[in-house]
Amino acid sequence: MRNCVFLLLVAATLGAGQTPAAKPWTTPKTPWGDPDLQGVWPGTDLVGTPLQRDPSLGTRAVLTDQEFAQRVERSKKQADVDSQETVNEVTKCDPTRGGLGNTQTTCSNGVSIGPPLYWDDRGKPNRQASLVVDPPDGRIPPLTPEAQKAAADRAAPRRARPCARTAGGCHDSWEDESLWDRCITRGLLGSILPSTYNDGNQIVQAPGVVVLRNEMIHETRIIPLSSGGPIGSPHVSSAIRTWMGDSRGHWEGNTLVVETTNFNDRTQLNNATVSDAARVVERFTRTGENTLEYRVTIEDPKTWTKPWTIQFPLKRDAEYRLYEYACHEGNYYMYNALTGARAEEKRAQ
Amino acid sequence: MRVIARLMIAAFLFAIPVWAHHSFAAEFDIKKPVKLEGTVTKMEWINPHAWIHIDVKGPDGKITSWMVEGGTPNILLRRGFTKQSLEVGTVVVVEGYQAKNGENRANGSNITFTDGKRLFLGGSNPNEQPQ
Repeated sequence: MRNCVFLLLVAATLGAGQTPAAKPWTTPKTPWGDPDLQGVWPGTDLVGTPLQRDPSLGTRAVLTDQEFAQRVERSKKQADVDSQETVNEVTKCDPTRGGLGNTQTTCSNGVSIGPPLYWDDRGKPNRQASLVVDPPDGRIPPLTPEAQKAAADRAAPRRARPCARTAGGCHDSWEDESLWDRCITRGLLGSILPSTYNDGNQIVQAPGVVVLRNEMIHETRIIPLSSGGPIGSPHVSSAIRTWMGDSRGHWEGNTLVVETTNFNDRTQLNNATVSDAARVVERFTRTGENTLEYRVTIEDPKTWTKPWTIQFPLKRDAEYRLYEYACHEGNYYMYNALTGARAEEKRAQ
Repeated sequence: MRVIARLMIAAFLFAIPVWAHHSFAAEFDIKKPVKLEGTVTKMEWINPHAWIHIDVKGPDGKITSWMVEGGTPNILLRRGFTKQSLEVGTVVVVEGYQAKNGENRANGSNITFTDGKRLFLGGSNPNEQPQ
C-alpha cells in the first residue's frame, strides 16, 4: 500500500499537464464502450531519462529546480552540438562530453565512432529522476542468488573460450550475438522503453481485443481482453513459451491492465534472462488528450529479489508514422562481426 | 594503399574501451582510422542501418568501392530525408574506422559534403533544390 501511495504521488507530480487541470479529464469511449486509447504514442520525450536513479538522489523521485536546470543545460549543449552545420570545434570528439564513442581512444584518432549521433532521437528535459519508480530508490532490485548462479553458469563456457580475451569478444557463431543484434527481439520491456530510435508505439482496439505495436523490431502483441473480472481470459498452456510472452488484458476503470506470462527461457527483460515464473503487468491510463501514462511491474521471484516498476508518460503524436523496422533485411552486422573475428584469428596465428 | 583513403594507423593506443554501442568493437577496428573522399554510387535505405556506397579514386586513378554505415532509415525519414536527399554523384567525405575483416566498409561520426557541411543536417545537401 505504501508503494501505491508513493506511485500516486509520483504520478501526480510527473503527470500529464504538469499544471492542475481546470476540469477532470474524461476518457473517451470506443463505439462499443471501452475506454479509447487508440493512437500513436511515442516515448521519444523520455529519451535520455535514466532507467535507474542516481544513488545520490536516494528516494527522491522528482528533481529539484537546480537539478532540472542542469538537465536543461545539458540538453541545450547537446542541441548545439547536434545543430552545427559543419564539423568543427563544437562537434569534435571530446572525451569529457561523454556519450557514445567519445572516448580517449577515439578522440586521439580525431573522430568518434558512428553513425553520426545528430540523427538520433533526443528527449526533452523533465523532472523524472528515473524511469524506475519502485523500489522507492529507483534501482532495479538485485538478482536472486539462484539467478546469479544461472547467469554465471550460462556465461562460464563462453568465458573459458580464448575469444573471451580478445578485444572484440566472442563471435564464433550467430548465437554469440545478442537477441537485438540478431534482430529477434528487444524483449517486452526493451520494445517500449525510450530509445534513441524506433520510439513509436501504436494502440488499435476492436471489441474484445487490443493491439499494441512497437516500432522497435516491429513487435505486435494482439491482446485478448476478458469480458469481466481480472485476467478472466486464460493464458495459453504453460507449455507454450514465447519471446514476448502471452498477454491478456482487462479494464480496471479506464485503465487497460495487461498481464504477460509464458516467456521462453531465452528472452530477456532489461538484459536479464527471465525464468518460467516471470510475470509482467502493464497499465495504460490516459491522463489527458495527449498523454498515456504507462506503468509496468516486473515480477519474477526466481530472478529478482522483489518486484520492480517503471512508469513514464507516452505522448500522442498524430504526425508520427511507425515504419517497418525489418531488421533482418540488411543486417550487415552479423557478417561484419563474424568475419571480423575470423580475420582477427588469422592475424593472431 | 592504392586508394586515396589515408589509413592512419594510430601511433599509440589506449586500453580497449568498453563500447556503449554493442556492435562497434565487433565490426570495426579502432586501430584503422580512415578518411575517404568519394562519389556516391548508391544509398541503401535498408534496416537496421542505411549504407552509403561511394567510389573512392586513388592517386593512380583506380577506383575502390566503399560502404559507409548510416543511421536507421526510420530516423532519417523522420528527419525529412528521402531517396532524393543524397543523389548519385554527390561527393562526400567520411572520417571513421575500417571494418575488422579488412573489407572496404567504414563507420564514423564525421560524414560531410566537400564544403564541410554535415550530411543530412537540414538543408545541408548542396544538390538539394530549395522547397
